[in-house]
Amino acid sequence: MDGKDIRKIVVACDAGMGSSVMLASSLRKELRKAGVTVEHTPVNSIPGDADIVVCHAGLGARARNSAPDKPVITFQVFLGDPAVARLVKAVKDGGEIGA
Amino acid sequence: MAAAYTPAVSGSGLKAGVQRLGGHLAGMVMPNIGAFIAWGLVTALFIPTGWLPNKHFGELVDPTITYLLPILIGYTGGRMVHGQRGAVVGAVATMGVVVGSKIPMFLGAMIVGPFAAYLLKKVDGYIQERTRTGFEMLVDNFTAGIVGGAVAVFGVWGVGPIVRQVTKGAGNGVEWLIHHHLLPLASVLIEPAKVLFLNNAVNHGVLAPLGFAEAAKDGRSILFMLESNPGPGLGVLLAYLLFGPRSLRPSVPAAIIIHFLGGIHEIYFPYILMKPRLILAAIAGGAAGIATFMATDAGLVAAPSPGSIFAYVAETPKHGWIGVYLGILIAAAVSFAVGAALLGFGRFAEKKPDETTAEAPGGTSEAAAEDPAGAAGAPAARETASPSPQEA
Repeated sequence: MDGKDIRKIVVACDAGMGSSVMLASSLRKELRKAGVTVEHTPVNSIPGDADIVVCHAGLGARARNSAPDKPVITFQVFLGDPAVARLVKAVKDGGEIGA
Repeated sequence: MAAAYTPAVSGSGLKAGVQRLGGHLAGMVMPNIGAFIAWGLVTALFIPTGWLPNKHFGELVDPTITYLLPILIGYTGGRMVHGQRGAVVGAVATMGVVVGSKIPMFLGAMIVGPFAAYLLKKVDGYIQERTRTGFEMLVDNFTAGIVGGAVAVFGVWGVGPIVRQVTKGAGNGVEWLIHHHLLPLASVLIEPAKVLFLNNAVNHGVLAPLGFAEAAKDGRSILFMLESNPGPGLGVLLAYLLFGPRSLRPSVPAAIIIHFLGGIHEIYFPYILMKPRLILAAIAGGAAGIATFMATDAGLVAAPSPGSIFAYVAETPKHGWIGVYLGILIAAAVSFAVGAALLGFGRFAEKKPDETTAEAPGGTSEAAAEDPAGAAGAPAARETASPSPQEA
């Protein structure tokens, strides 16, 4: 999947109210000019129109269960994680994203 | 490259299963936290021992916790199972356990709400194919009405009394722990569960419903503070700030603000997962905090959610300041001291940066500098961290 094809990123956390909101708002700021929608949801109800799912590694298994057909990107730290940084770069500049 | 983005499913199936169950429980409570806080604020202000005692406004307190809050939970639980129709029968069914038990019925609502919705889902699946054109609305409305009514009656008759006993039993268990000064031991379970992302399940699925039952009786509950105390996390982060691996230190101040002021505890979990032994610092801090809350007979009027210091300030009852703040402070101090010792007061911090700079990819930003530490430290951390709840 190419970063340029991403239209909608879903950030998931346990309740969809805490950490996912925080990360989604910082992604939204970073990707403001890229024309990408960033949403936050509980990990059990990832919407069908998501192009890619971002969640903490500790919730990775649940994200893959709840959205088996979506590429899931997992990260370890909430601030400045390399996986998230690579995603942002791929969305901005194009380039392959692992699925 | 692609594999690096999505490593194999992490954690055992059991862990994900428990998380999922807990997620369902918490998912019924968390969207309704605003209503709980409204109740908490009204209670803190207008009850006879409150800030602005007012008999007239105080009449809001009882019906809100007896009817509104459980029904909201049942409604939300029903919606999770079967959309708007599930929500409606979930609410109706919850009315049954509320009337059948006469105590705040959160546990009952968490059971019958989704159950009624599931029943309706099955009924819908069976009947909808067999409904003649033009009769859909009639059939839909009456199946929902019949299922909701039936589960409500069943709730009054059967579920309510049983769940009342269970809730009482759990409450007695907690009282027993408090009476025998064993409540601080709860941290041994709570803190490891937290960093494995069971924080919402533990707090909103288990502790908060018991806490609200207690708060309805006594005006405050210590149970709201067992999991949500921001002290232990603050102590761990401070220990990282001063003694952690140098490459990680720059990210800590922002994490402290998000954790302690913003109340998003998830931000500190990775710091513990990277160095699993720090869970001992969180446990020690949590236990010290609970011991302080017990010694000072502290409690909050409602669940502080998120677990931010501001939520604590807003939900501390009149005359309850000292115990609550002392508990947070002592929890932070103890977990900082233990955390600092576990980090060797910085003696272990020197090796990391060399590895980090050597492995760091081209980027020179702070984020890039952290990468290898985070990527290398965390998977190992997860493996050592996961067995801990089973041991505990």
